[in-house]
Amino acid sequence: MNRKFCWYVCLASVFTVFAGCSSKQARSGSKLIAIIIPSNDNPFFKSEADVASARARELGYQVSINSHDDDAHKQDQLFDLAIANKAAAIILDNAGADASVAAVRKAKVAGIPSFLIDREINEQGVAVSQIVSNNYQGAMLVAQEFVRLLKGKGNYIELLGRESDTNAAVRTRGFHNVLDKYDGLKLVGQQSANWSQTEAFDKVQTMIQANHNIQGVIAGNDTMAVGAVAALKAAGLNRVIVVGFDGSPDALAAIRTGDMKATALQPAAEIAQMAVDQADKYLKTGSTGAPEKQLIDCVLVTPTNADQFSNFAPKE
Amino acid sequence: MQTSDVGAATGGGFRALALRTSLGSLLFRLRAVIVLVVLLGIFSVLSPAFFTSGNLVILIEHVAINAILAVGMTFTILTGGIDLSVGSIVGLAGIVAGGLIHSGLVLPHYGIIVYPHTWLVIVIGLLAGCFVGAVNGALVSWFDVAPFIATLGTLYMARGAALLLSNGATFPDLGGKPELGNTGFLAIGTGSILGIPAPVWLMIIIGAAGALLASRTPFGRRVYAVGGNERAAKLSGVCVQQIKFMVYVISGFCAGIVGLIIAAQLSSAHPATGETFELTAIAAVVLGGTSLMGGRGSIGGAIIGAFVIGALADGLVLMGVSEFWQTVIKGLVIVLAVILDQLQIRYSQRAAAALRS
Repeated sequence: MNRKFCWYVCLASVFTVFAGCSSKQARSGSKLIAIIIPSNDNPFFKSEADVASARARELGYQVSINSHDDDAHKQDQLFDLAIANKAAAIILDNAGADASVAAVRKAKVAGIPSFLIDREINEQGVAVSQIVSNNYQGAMLVAQEFVRLLKGKGNYIELLGRESDTNAAVRTRGFHNVLDKYDGLKLVGQQSANWSQTEAFDKVQTMIQANHNIQGVIAGNDTMAVGAVAALKAAGLNRVIVVGFDGSPDALAAIRTGDMKATALQPAAEIAQMAVDQADKYLKTGSTGAPEKQLIDCVLVTPTNADQFSNFAPKE
Repeated sequence: MQTSDVGAATGGGFRALALRTSLGSLLFRLRAVIVLVVLLGIFSVLSPAFFTSGNLVILIEHVAINAILAVGMTFTILTGGIDLSVGSIVGLAGIVAGGLIHSGLVLPHYGIIVYPHTWLVIVIGLLAGCFVGAVNGALVSWFDVAPFIATLGTLYMARGAALLLSNGATFPDLGGKPELGNTGFLAIGTGSILGIPAPVWLMIIIGAAGALLASRTPFGRRVYAVGGNERAAKLSGVCVQQIKFMVYVISGFCAGIVGLIIAAQLSSAHPATGETFELTAIAAVVLGGTSLMGGRGSIGGAIIGAFVIGALADGLVLMGVSEFWQTVIKGLVIVLAVILDQLQIRYSQRAAAALRS
């Protein structure tokens, strides 16, 4: 009897809810910009979100910030909610080049334009803009500096990013386009550390157990480079040359102290601001005035210019 | 008349019957429903977008994922076990189905690629889920491995298998090709009948089937008996091992369905899909009043628990609450529900003692 009662209450509440639906009307002409980023605890994505939300507020929009934790399913749900919230536009750093297409298309069908930053999707014409930093150019910059520091010879380890992420593949291609031209450089270990600091620490520790004779470590992002530095220090290998990618605050600090030698700074702040500006222009005029795919060049950061940058942008 | 034997064996029949009439106990039993109604009320007031038909359909669609997992999870928890591998099974089933549609089945000896029909793809995807469930079941029932450890092992194995099958990559464009006869897969996630999305129908069907199975069949009574008092159940003639095996297969089957739904919704299969899903499913089951010790709880409760978690997750996002607070609030609600659960147990014991004296 009790179970039955339980079900009746359930059903009754659901029906009340549905009955109430029709009477309510959603607000129209909302000025909400939904910002969806991979995570809130990574300085790179955090500064994307901070810059984008600051710019959007400046232009008179309301802002919501949520993270999808690199989970395409969660991202899909966040898109549903942005649609339900009648967002005016979505700024997205996506959760996978293939897995994100369906969500972005769903928003387009619902009349909400998406502006992609940092990572591309494998389809054109679904998002209004795809603004990414030129990972290939940045990777080549770092690799050239790496070669210069190693004087073109030595054993090195490469740490790869998450395999599902297009940027991981693009960066390693950029690295090898330069490095493979030097016969004196020998790749003695190549592992994915999934962009993660702790994973990079563990992997490098294991790899130097296998081979102590290492002159350089080239990492697909700064977080992994910083992990590698810690592992090398713990093993007493202080003279190994470590380079990374991103230009994160940690890496800039490491470059200032000499633990790292170089990184390619992604203009994440500039990209986030561009995306909001283009969203604003698109909402007002129906066009961004720019092509969908836009590549922004990276900047090489070394000990000589490390003081001039912070938070993924040149200091004011 | 095995059911009545079992009821006596668990020794709770009379006491429970007496308690059901008491109003206090009833309120406790309805606590998840009360929490849900309160949450719906709060969100409706605070966010104008929440109480709209469009959003409520979306909410139920989001809940469906967790609710289907929670139905399977309830069966394992009712026997006193747990299934930590459901998240990985979600990933594996999606990858199996996605791989079959996207790249087909390569037969190296014949040098041909076979693209199975959509129905076959669905069946194979579900079988993959059932298979991992069967491994769990075999480990728990016949090899006497603690459920926590057995399913932790398969959590890693199934995730590894998904990564191996896809080589870490995503299978895109699962729409299929008409010339290969494998179109229509996406309907599982994006289709709708009578304006209600397919995942919601699946939740209703699985929820109803699960509730009937648990409360109206000999199998269901045996599941409760095994969780309530395994030794007593065994002595009264229940094949404990068989029951334990079956509950993990059911859980694997439910996780397989979720894997297919998500792959269809995203039109792509990614091997990392479903990470930490097991935790939200367990939370839903516990919120719904099922005891982690086994023997007490219900499928309906688990579904209501899933609604509480889903309403909370979506409502907080719609309100624009900061992500960090979202995490804290979700944790608080789960802890609160478990505290209420403990209070109920204490209350029942006191009431039972009073009844005896």
